[in-house]
Order: sequence, then C-alpha cells, then structure tokens
Amino acid sequence: MESISRISSLLETARDLTLEAARDVGPRKPTKALPVPQIKKLLDSRTERDVLDGLRRVISMQYANPPQPTLTFFAVVLKTLSTPYPSTRPLVYNYLIHHAELDPDTALLSINTIQKSLSDANPRVRAMALKTMSGIRIPMISQIVSLAVKKGVSDLSPLVRKAAALACVKCVRLDENTRPQVEEYLATLLLDKQYYVAGAAVQAFMEVCPERLDLVHPAYRRLCKMVVDMDEWGQLAMLRLIPVYARKCFPRRTKRVRRAQTREEKAKDFYEDLEPKEEEEEAAADYDEVEIMDPDLDLFLTSIHPLLQSRNSAVIIAVTRAYLYLSPQTHLPHTIGPLIALLRSPQDIQQVALHNILQVCIHDPKPFAPYIRHFLVRSTEPSQIRTLKLELLTLLFPHCGKEVQDLILAELEHFSHGHDPDLVRESVRAIGRCAQVPSARTSRRCLSLLLKQIHSADSNLVGEAIEVIRHLIQRSPDEHRKTVVRLAKNLDSLVSPSARASIIWLVGEFAGMRENTEGESIAADVLRILVKGYADEEDEVKGQIVLLAAKVYLGWCNRRNEKRKALEGLDGEEWRSDGYDALEKEDEGGFEEDSTKAAEKAHPIELLYQHSMLLARYTPSYDLRDRARLYRALLAVPTSTELASLLLLAPKPVPVAPSPGEARKGFLLGSASLVIGAGGLQGREALPDWVVEGDEPDPDLRAEGKDERAEYVPAGSVVVSAGTRLDEALVAEGGKSGGKGRGRTLNDWLNDDEEEGTESDEEEEDGESEEEDGSEETEEEESSEEDEEDDEEDESAGLVR
Amino acid sequence: MSAIDAVYIYDEHNNLLLSHTYTNRPPPPSTLLPLYLQHAAPRPSVLYVPSLHPPTVVYNITQDNLLFLSPSSSDIEPLLVLEFLHRVADALEEFLGSPLLANKISANYNIVAQVLAEIADGGVICQGEANALRDVVETGPGVLNHLLGKVGLPGNAAVPGMQSGSGSGVGSGTLQRFQPTGSQTAVSSQGSAIPWRRSNVRHTSNELYVDIVETLSVTLAPSGRPLAAFAYGSIAFTCKVSGVPDLLLTLSTGGKGGGMGNRGDQLRGVMERVVFHPCVRLNKWKSEGVMSFVPPDGKFVLCGYEVDLLGTDAPIMATGKNAYASMNLPATVEVTTGLGSSNNEFEVRIAQPASSSLSSARSAAAASLQSNLSSSGRAGTFKAGSAGDSRGPSIENLLVSVPLPSEVRNVTELRPSKGEANWNPVEGVVEWRVPAKDFGPLGAVLRCAIQGPTSDGAEDAGAVLDGMTATTYDYTDDDPTGAYQSETGSTNGAATTTQAKRQANTNRNRDLMPTSARLSFGVKGWLASGLKVESLLLDTNKSRGLGAEVKPYKGVKYLTVSRQGVEVRC
Repeated sequence: MESISRISSLLETARDLTLEAARDVGPRKPTKALPVPQIKKLLDSRTERDVLDGLRRVISMQYANPPQPTLTFFAVVLKTLSTPYPSTRPLVYNYLIHHAELDPDTALLSINTIQKSLSDANPRVRAMALKTMSGIRIPMISQIVSLAVKKGVSDLSPLVRKAAALACVKCVRLDENTRPQVEEYLATLLLDKQYYVAGAAVQAFMEVCPERLDLVHPAYRRLCKMVVDMDEWGQLAMLRLIPVYARKCFPRRTKRVRRAQTREEKAKDFYEDLEPKEEEEEAAADYDEVEIMDPDLDLFLTSIHPLLQSRNSAVIIAVTRAYLYLSPQTHLPHTIGPLIALLRSPQDIQQVALHNILQVCIHDPKPFAPYIRHFLVRSTEPSQIRTLKLELLTLLFPHCGKEVQDLILAELEHFSHGHDPDLVRESVRAIGRCAQVPSARTSRRCLSLLLKQIHSADSNLVGEAIEVIRHLIQRSPDEHRKTVVRLAKNLDSLVSPSARASIIWLVGEFAGMRENTEGESIAADVLRILVKGYADEEDEVKGQIVLLAAKVYLGWCNRRNEKRKALEGLDGEEWRSDGYDALEKEDEGGFEEDSTKAAEKAHPIELLYQHSMLLARYTPSYDLRDRARLYRALLAVPTSTELASLLLLAPKPVPVAPSPGEARKGFLLGSASLVIGAGGLQGREALPDWVVEGDEPDPDLRAEGKDERAEYVPAGSVVVSAGTRLDEALVAEGGKSGGKGRGRTLNDWLNDDEEEGTESDEEEEDGESEEEDGSEETEEEESSEEDEEDDEEDESAGLVR
Repeated sequence: MSAIDAVYIYDEHNNLLLSHTYTNRPPPPSTLLPLYLQHAAPRPSVLYVPSLHPPTVVYNITQDNLLFLSPSSSDIEPLLVLEFLHRVADALEEFLGSPLLANKISANYNIVAQVLAEIADGGVICQGEANALRDVVETGPGVLNHLLGKVGLPGNAAVPGMQSGSGSGVGSGTLQRFQPTGSQTAVSSQGSAIPWRRSNVRHTSNELYVDIVETLSVTLAPSGRPLAAFAYGSIAFTCKVSGVPDLLLTLSTGGKGGGMGNRGDQLRGVMERVVFHPCVRLNKWKSEGVMSFVPPDGKFVLCGYEVDLLGTDAPIMATGKNAYASMNLPATVEVTTGLGSSNNEFEVRIAQPASSSLSSARSAAAASLQSNLSSSGRAGTFKAGSAGDSRGPSIENLLVSVPLPSEVRNVTELRPSKGEANWNPVEGVVEWRVPAKDFGPLGAVLRCAIQGPTSDGAEDAGAVLDGMTATTYDYTDDDPTGAYQSETGSTNGAATTTQAKRQANTNRNRDLMPTSARLSFGVKGWLASGLKVESLLLDTNKSRGLGAEVKPYKGVKYLTVSRQGVEVRC
C-alpha cells in the first residue's frame, strides 16, 4: 500500500511548487544559537517553559550538523530530573541515552532518580523509565537493569510489560551474563495475554535467543491465535520464528497418515492396496488434504491467512515464505494475488518484492500465468525492475497460451529495439530463454526474431543476438545448418567483433565438418574471404579465423584420409596418396603404399591453411601466435589427425542459459541475501530441515490449560475486531484439535513404548531403516542433505524442491 | 536479527540532516554517503556494499527530496527496513506537516529525535503508527502553532477549551490539522485502547473526508490496442472526529460488475487484491462488502486496491482496438514515426475520444452527487470536496513526454498545434504541455524533427563496405550447399555503396526514433474504475466520546491521475 505521504502528494497537485515555495518562506529557525552559559541558565530556571526551551536547544545542538559539543551540559541537564515536568522528561532521557557512554560517571548519578520513576503511579512514566534505563550503555548497571526488567515483567500495565520485553534485548546487549535471567523473563512474557506484549516478546525473543525453542512450546497456540492482532513488526517476528519452530517440531507427516502423504501416487497406492476401485480416488484426495499436517501447524497456517491483506509488504512476503517452506501445496496459491498486489507499491519496495516473486515463480510458475499483464515492462521503470520483469516473463512463457506467447515475444522484440543497452541485452537474452521451450515452432519463431536483429545497426544488439543464436544452434545443430549459412552471409556487413567471432566459430563448428557432399563446405570459402581481410580484424576475430583455418584443414585431412582408406579398401592399386603414415602402415598390417604421388599441386585448402598460419605468425598478439603454434604442431602430420580431431572437433557441451534467478534459489525467501544475491552478510541462516519423525518434542508441551484458554479475552481491544472473531473461531477449532492431538499422542506413546521395548538399543539403525523405507519423501530429503553437506545455502532449495 | 542499526537523513543536496544510531556501530553517515553515491543513477533500494567491513547493505528511500538511508550488516528482511523508513517519513510528516522539508527537520530536532526514539526501541521497531506516537512524543506547548505560523500564545495555548472559545468555525477546520494533544496530564495514562489511534482526541469541528485516488497504468501496443490497463486505487481518509468514532464506509461500483451477487461480490469483482489498514474489520468486508472501522486520527490510507480496466476475466488477447474506448480514458495518444523526406520526423497526436467525452462522466458525477445527497440524508450531507466536483470532472496538467535515445543531438522544428513543447537535452525527453482549455475533441498534434549524431558513423559504415566490395557472401538460404559463387564482380560496388549509404542513413534515423510516448494528466471528480462512495455512516451506538447531536461534516473527492501512466509503444 502506498504510504500516506505519497498519496497526499498526489492530492496536492501543486506540490512541487509548494516544496519550492515552502523552502523559501518556511518557518524561521525558531532558535537563535545561544552561548553556553545562557543555555545553562535556562536549564537552571524554575519555570517549565525555560527548562524546556533550554533542553530543546541542547537536543538541537546534539543533532545539528556539524554536531556541537553538548557534553558540558550533562550535569545541568541531569539536575532537571529532580523537578520532573512531564514535558521535559522525554528530552532529558533522550539526552541521557545519547551521552551516557561518553561520561559514564555522571550518567550513573541519574540511575537513582530513574529507579524511583520505575515505581511511578503513571504507567507511561514507568515504561519510559525502564526504556531509558535499559538504553544507557554502561555495562556496570546490567544487574540493576535486569532487576528493573524483572519488575517490569510483572507490572500490571501492558505498556510497561511491552517496554520490559524490549528492554530484554538491550539488557543482553549490555551484558551477555544476564542472558539466563533474560531468557526467563522472556518465557514469562511470551505467555502474556496482551497481544502487543506478546508481539514485542516475540520480537525480543528473536533478537535474544531464537534457538531456545523450548520456551515457545507453552505459548505456541496462544501466539498463533494472537498473531492477527499483533502489530506488523510483531507479526514479522512471529513469521520468522514459527517456520523454524515448525521445521524443528513437526515431523513432515504423522505416523497415522504416513502412506497417504502429499504425493498423489502414494495416496493412490494406499487405496489400491485396500480397495483397488478407481472411484475412491477423489475421496482419497480429500483425505489427503485434511490429514496432511499436524493440527498445531495447521493452526498457525490458518491463522496467518488474514495477514495476506496486510498493508505491509514485508508481512506479505513473510507469509509467503511460511507457506512456501511449510505447506507449498495447500496454501501457497493463496499468496499469488497479494504478491501481485505488491507490484503497485512504490518502486523501492517493488524491486524487493519482484526478487521474491521471482523465487516463488521459479518454484511454481503456473499460478502466475493469469497475471502476465502485470509483468509487462514499462519504459519508465528503472533497469533493476525491468530486468526482473523480463525474467518473470520468460519464466511464464512456457506456461502461456499461444496468443500470450505472441504478446510476450512482441514485447521482447519491442524492447530489443530500445535505446538502453542494458535493456536491449536483457530482452535479447530473454528471447533466447523463450526459445528453450520444447515446442519446435516457438523455438523457430524466436530464432527468426533473433535473426532479424542481426541486421540492426546497433552493434550491441547484434553481438547479444548472435551470442544467443549461437546457444540455440549449439542446442540442436542439425536443424540449424541453414541458419549458419545465413549468418555467414552477414560477415559482409557486421562490424561488432564479438558477433563476427561468434559467427566464425559457428561456421567452423557446424558448417565445416558435417557437410561432405561436395568434399568441402562453405567453411573453406568463408575462410578464403576472411583471410583477405585478416589484417583489419580485431584480435578476437583473428583468433577465430586461425581456428577456422585449422578446423577446415583438419576436416580436409580427415576426409582425405577417409577417402584413401575407403579406396584402399576398394582398390588399393588405384589409390594414390601423397600421404605417408607409419601408424596406418602398422594398422594395415604391412600393406605397403610406396607409390606416393609426389609433386602434385597442393590443394587450395592446404595453401589457405599455410597462409593463415603465416599470417598468425606475424600477428602482434602473442596469445594468437601461441595458438597458431599449437595448431601447427597438432596438424604437422596430415595423415595422423586423431589427436587434432580430439582437440579441435571435440563435441562442445550444450550451453544452458538458466534464468538468472535460479542462482539465488539457495537463499531464504524474503532475506537480504536473496535480493543482493550474495551470501556475505552476517546472521544469514537457512531454515532447518524437517525434524525426523520420532525426534520431535512431545506435542503435549504445547497444550495449555483449558481454564486459561477460557480466560483469554483480548483485553484492550474494545472494538470487536476481525481478529477477535477469528480468534473465537480458532479457539473453538483449537479445542477440537487439541483434544484430538491428545488422543493421538496417547497412541503414540503406546507405540513408542512398544518400539522402545524391541529396538531400544538400535535407534540409529531404526532411523536408517526408516529412510530406506522406499518412500520418495525421505529419499529426496536425504539426497538434498547430501548435496548440502558442502553448501549449506542449498538447504532451503532442496526443501522447496 | 531484525534490528535497525541507524537512520540517516540527507537533504536534497546530500548534506547530512540527521543521524540517529539505534544500536551496534554502523558505518558513519560520512562514510556511507559516498559509497551510496558511487552507484550509478537509478540506484536500487537495496544496495550491497561489500567493500565495507563487515559487508553492509544500504537501504534507501527518497521522500520529498529527502534521502533516507539505513545501513545494516546483518541479514535483515529488506522489506522490513524499507517499510520502516516509509513509516519514519510518514511519522515525521504527521508531526512536521507535509511536505517534509529539510529546514522543518533541522528546526525541530527535539521532536524528530523523540519520534525516532519512540518508533524503534534499541533498533527493535515497536511503534509504527504515526498517530499513536502522538501520545508519547512531547511536542510541548506552542511548537506546532509556531509551525503553522500562528502567533504563539504563551503556555498551554492549545488546550481544546480555549481553542473552541476562539471561535474557529467549521470553515477554518482544515487549519486544525495539528490539533495538539493538550498537556501530558490529559493523556490517558493507560494509553489508547486502539493501537493505531491516539487517545483523548478532541476536535471542535468534526470532519470526515474521503479521497479516492486512482493512478493509471496503461500500456498500449503500437496499433492502439491496450496490452494492459490498471488503475491502482487508494482511499485516503481524513478523520477529525472527537472520541472514538466507529465508521461504516459503503462503496458502489457505479454499474460495473453488476448483474451477479450482492454488493459485496460486485465490489470485489471491481476492486481486486485489496489491502487494508489494520483498522478495517476484514470479516465485515468479506461478508457484506463494506468497510467498518475505527479510524486513526488525522490522515491515513484506509485501503489500497487495483482495478483491471480491461475487465478481470477478459481473455488476455481478446481485447480489440475498441477496448481502449471502453476504458473511457479522457485522452488518447498516438505516435507516428519515420515521417518526412529522410525519415527523421515524428508526430504525436492526442485527442479526446468521442466515446468517452467527459460530458457523460460529468452527468454521471452529478447524478451520483444527487444520489449521495438523498441516500445519506440520515447521517449528514455530502458536500463536494472541491470545486472540481461540482463543476464536473475536468482534465488538467496534460503532458506528453517522448523519450529519445541519447544519440539524438538535437530536436528541431518542434511544431505543436496547441500548447508548448520543448526539448530537454539533459534527460533526452521532448515535453509537450497542452493547456486544458485548448484540449478539445479535435485534439492536438506535435511534429518534430530529430538530428542524429554527425555523420562520421556513415562514413565508417561506407568504408567497411568498400573494403568488402570485392567479395560478398551471397549464399542463398534455400540451397546452402548449392550456389557458392566464389566471387562477384566488383563492378556494381560503387552503386551499391551509395545506395547502402542512403539505406544506412534511413536505418540510423529509424534507430533514433522514439519507441514510446507517455501521457500524463489528472482528472478531478472522476474515477477510472467508476467506483463511488455511496455512504459514510457514523455508528452512534458503537462510537464513544462524541455527542449524540454532533453531525460531522463529510466530504468526498475523486481524483484520477496518470503520471506518465499511459504509455504507447511505437
């Protein structure tokens, strides 16, 4: 959602003018700088007004640019605490937090006064005091802070409890030793009945000790129910916490429904075992849906559903992340619409949102296909957004109907004629990616589109287009023999060196060797013409010319050798060769060919080759000279070309041009690493793998007393908010599921006991046998685990798959 | 790790205005700014600076010419930081007034410091609601009055009682945007029960304004066929009502999406992908299609939505050329390129489509006004929010911008039939403004000629051709193996060269032609989606702190803008 300031700028039409005008006639600086003694005098004054004025001046000096020294006022400012006017208190506290580190001794003087405020009758004052005290960065007072937090945790006012939750973070930052105490406080705060206290507690929990998941168990259900009512920042913390929690505490499937797992075929198998009738399949699907996950996990996934209508883009991405990593089949489709809605947010947010949409799209492009119009590129957008949109278009391309594909191609063609070199490059590459679709017809259309581009005067565009064409040709060389010829024709007019080099390489690779119809191909002819202009070419092109010469010559030698062999097979007498080959002689088992035809005029190809080698020899580039030497050595003996063939005619690996976003698959959705595409940031962590069945903590830990639940009233929210209603529904549901869960766990307990009786000492093997069970699920996880051993980043990717 | 490290604010000349450090030891603003500026102009909002130690990500937004930076070296969610920066900008605007100006900030460091300290505590964001911050931020007596240029009364001049005594009537209500909260003692010690609304709201004149703004985003193919057409709508709400009002806003689709379902379904058919301010009760929206909410005090965005002007379920390609007409946009634009003797001219034509003359919309608006008057008689009267409404919608700020490639040296002979056109060589844009009064059904035309770079390029191309005249590759596509003539005669070389030169010239001019044109305008009193505010009711039973006899003043304003939003390809 647009922020109000942006909307109001639309409403006020003459806003730009206002900006100018307001700058000129804007408010005078209300304060003229006063000398230090005078400010001190103000601060010493007895009237609230003067003190306030003085404090304002001090704060302004503190923030002014360049900052002015304000430390001299420390004592005077602290003195004003003794006669606390409500209006001055925030300013004094602000000053104190800012300067405490610089002069800890003076700051300590204030602690006593602040401690007194901790028992003030006004909860706002208490909260402010607690906040300030924990904000003072003097490690010496950490125990006092910790005590203050302890007191705040049990305060009657939720305002103070919220401040206490936030103070926990600062307390640990101040002194690591307070961590055990702070974790205790947080355990209490997580259980708070007031949603904004709980929200702040979750935020603090994520800052202080995100690994202490055991603290979450008792609060889990309540937190899930409260998540809709929390503020956005609390929701974000929850959405970071619960996916990790869920991965660690809910096994991928429960024992009972093991065989009716997410995979359709499994459900099928299961039912075919029991009753092989096909009609039952629909019922099977239903059953599958219902039983797929733990009721507690389901509670969370359902309760975050309303968050998809949040105005905060971060929340929407976070919900998407939870759904993507916890329940891609069932819930992910709900997020598509809200994700699309992010495209209308301001451009800064749009960029980040697009990065995330791209990842979801790579995971499952189909649901995005109807929204293709949202991804059309606009000429006003900055290049980052355009690149991402183009990539999305190409990802969606295979999933669209023919008409839409036409539209996309037309779009890409349009942008490939643009003026911005980056955009041109990206759109040509995008066409190349579109051409990868299996349909031959589409692929051909993309190619013809690209071929059109090479006549453009824009060398940048031509270079890119040839590059992409080269990839396409390499992918299916047999279909593109004519294309190579057509490209070769363009050598007349092309100027872009990289394009020329690419074409020459293509000629050498695909036109030279495979056309044996006339004994020689266009390659030789191309070479002949190119050699004439050799001196004027760029080094890049020269290198390719020399390579082409070597290839042509090699091809010629090969063919001659073959022909000779064939003739020898047919009729040795008639065959006259100018070659002499010791190896061959050995192979042939002593067949002697003495009548070597000498003094025959050298074949033009041979001469061409010799000529280009000479040219290369006198080229300034030593790299090129080295290459030439290598070719000369390889081809020194015209009849022994095996090694040369191996080197020069080796089958080239087919280039793959994956979507650039694929490279970022390993990063967690919504993280900064995903957006910057690099993993150098601190604190980057992937989601853990699903816990192995049997290792999860007892679901009973999450149970909460019935009486407590009845007690829960969203105090404070006088209005019956949507969230409350939902809560009611969830409470009812939770009651049911809780009961069910308990019944199941009892069974589990019994089962576990039995198992323990038999295989108590073989726990590890048990785990292994479970994995070898033949179930695809575990195998997949296993394999992904193996992949990740060297690279942790792929963890989430493996799970996504 | 989700703590904000610091917020730095720079003014439009990149001078540091303010730096506020929350936690850790982030790189100082003086180090960060050059690294930020190093990056080429359209800077991404998430900028990675690996050269710092530890590697740092710089998040940035620009608001009202001010630059907000926030560095972070941990893997924090980027959107969290960006949303936070937007909230900071909103909060500062709430306190300092809009637009946000550098000298407003520097004159009120004490308020800004408090806002920044309250919005996040030790880097953990704890209060994102600008309005609720009013409860905790001490603005002190007289400060805001000063901002408004009023004569500062000594002491607690802003106590509501006194202000009502001063006789500020309904008419001057807009000036009370900065109604101070009174003294600290008056603030409820328990804090507001509603997280987004400050406590103890008092207003002498009770007013409610609904402003619906739609931003157009239309893409037209060269043929004039719309490829995509969206209107991105936002409902901005201004509430100045004492106590805790409970409001009910009902919209109607104005005929679109009719025929099926109840109003809620119709409305949801038009307004797609809706997001709401947290105050809106979602289940009420889901069940009845009305927005029921307890608003924050002051200005806020109630809801954001989008409308597909081509129709939601229209098949993507089945939109014919007349689809544009059906969108009822107030202006059309088309571009013809490659005109003139050497193909170096282009023509832009804007017109008012006959089918969508604003007159029809005008009558509709009038009708709706009537219906509003009658239907909402119970709960007070709608008055036209601005003069534009009562006169009917009118187009204004008509601007066509045509971006040209950077190679274009000059644009000569700008010949607009109406309005003014000029060429901005820095940004490479031809801008053409047409005054609203000149813009009629006949439309207007702009024709210009462009000059490309001096013709060294042409000679180069010729030279290459000359060098290659002796040999051409004339393989035929049909038979690649067949006809490889080894050489063609060089006799026709000269002829081909001149021809090629001319050809190249034309080609080059073609490459210099614009590839798109953008149309900007604003229409007051008209919405592209056809949405209408049907009623805005104040639920007196649920509301508190408002006298039963109080009838708030209500105003509705519609605005459709296109900020380079209508783009035609060519």
